[in-house]
Amino acid sequence: MAYVATRGGERAIEQAERLYRADIGAIGRERVEAVRDGLPYLVDRLMGEASLYEPDLAALALAQSGGDLYEALLLLRAYRTTQPRLAVAEPVRQADLFTVRRISAAFKDIPGGQILGPTLDYSHRLLQVGVLNGEEYRPAPVEPAAEPAPATQPSLAEWQKAQDLIPDHPAESVEPDEIPDITREPLLFPVSRAHKLQSLARADTGGTLALGYATMRGYGAVHPTVNELRLAEAPVRMRHPCGTVFSAGRVRVSQTEVVSKSGGSLQLGFSATFGWNEVKTIAAATLDLASGQPDPHPASNEEFILYHTEAVESSGFCVHFKLPHYVTFQSHLDALRRVKADRQQAAAIAAEEESRHETNEAVP
Amino acid sequence: MIEPGAGDPVIGRYRHGEALGIFAASRPDAIKSCAEEVLADLGEVSVLANRTGLAMLPFTDTVRNTAFHLGEVLVAEAHIRVPERGVEGYGAVTGRDLEHAMAIAVLDAAIAAGHRTDAITVFLDGEWRRQQEDDRERLRKVEATRVEMETF
Repeated sequence: MAYVATRGGERAIEQAERLYRADIGAIGRERVEAVRDGLPYLVDRLMGEASLYEPDLAALALAQSGGDLYEALLLLRAYRTTQPRLAVAEPVRQADLFTVRRISAAFKDIPGGQILGPTLDYSHRLLQVGVLNGEEYRPAPVEPAAEPAPATQPSLAEWQKAQDLIPDHPAESVEPDEIPDITREPLLFPVSRAHKLQSLARADTGGTLALGYATMRGYGAVHPTVNELRLAEAPVRMRHPCGTVFSAGRVRVSQTEVVSKSGGSLQLGFSATFGWNEVKTIAAATLDLASGQPDPHPASNEEFILYHTEAVESSGFCVHFKLPHYVTFQSHLDALRRVKADRQQAAAIAAEEESRHETNEAVP
Repeated sequence: MIEPGAGDPVIGRYRHGEALGIFAASRPDAIKSCAEEVLADLGEVSVLANRTGLAMLPFTDTVRNTAFHLGEVLVAEAHIRVPERGVEGYGAVTGRDLEHAMAIAVLDAAIAAGHRTDAITVFLDGEWRRQQEDDRERLRKVEATRVEMETF
């Protein structure tokens, strides 16, 4: 593929950028805070896809890009490259999760019970149009229970393993520093489970949903039910120079297990991501399960899924087609013109031969 | 939810990990104010590091117990030395607040030096109560969403 360099258009480029930014307007701390506080699920989605947790920066990226998610994602991923890695935190376990929502669609009586948490799952969705007419929309306050819910909830999968409903896999002993990391290693196939789950954690929500939905609809042999869905806050446990482990704060995470019956057994798929993003983890857990099947459908093949849900690569490749491709396209035009000329020439020769043939036949 | 921490208490009833966790979850203005008070007569401080950076966060898959990286968290960290007392202090907190990290490091160094421990203990007690109460209030609201699926 060949390109022509863009020259002599500095002023146009400068003005184009100014026009883009002028349409968005001035950005101050107030706007960033309004985005962060008013659109937490959008901020969460962006942090998950950026694979970088910092709500202020994510809100700033959204404000600066006017809400264009792929632009915002690019800003955050680029910012990330400016920061040194200080540490690999201690691995998050289920017992660490400060859990605010935890449900199962497969088992109604689960240890610890079903906690709906913050959700609109069973609510009507209606636009509060009155807000546009100057009325303030104030949601009704929660009526707290007398006693708090437990801060942590037991793992449903652990209970199922104890009941011999699903196979137990012993935990591999791996130091945090030695966990495979796709930010430092290439994605190679067949992919390791650590790489696969990390890729899904940072995958594009829309892309993951599209492929997950295709699998759910029948482009694959997996028919998922949510085994457990959890929204929580996970501690970022770091190590003091003297060795003490401590929490440097908590980050919002979501995780989903899906279950599917296969032959005479139950199989689980898993996914987790930064932020509270249920649709992504349900779709990703489905893809985890479907892609682990012996002969997966092409739509749930690991390579197909992981290569096509990387948001920066896919959006970057898509939008690069709007950049100058004049040389490439000119060569296509040249080829088309050549083919057209060849055809015209062949047609002219054929017509001439036919005319000569008719003339010969007319001569007595 | 305060991290339990390991080892013996280093100040009041708090183990080292607990104290650092409470500091990190403290209100930024409150901990900076406390650190400034402690810093006044702590001695000359040399800053070894005060920067933002990334902490990769591993997560454990519940299906196959595979550890994988969930993503990176931006953290602010500070590492200081107080030569005349022969101690060091370290602090880290999620986010970009370098002053918060520095305040933790100052208080950590003060604890190591046994300096102004009364004031620090009062601060820890107050923040611990507030953090416990915040979590309790949040969890009371969460508990209000519990359902029994038979009657749902």
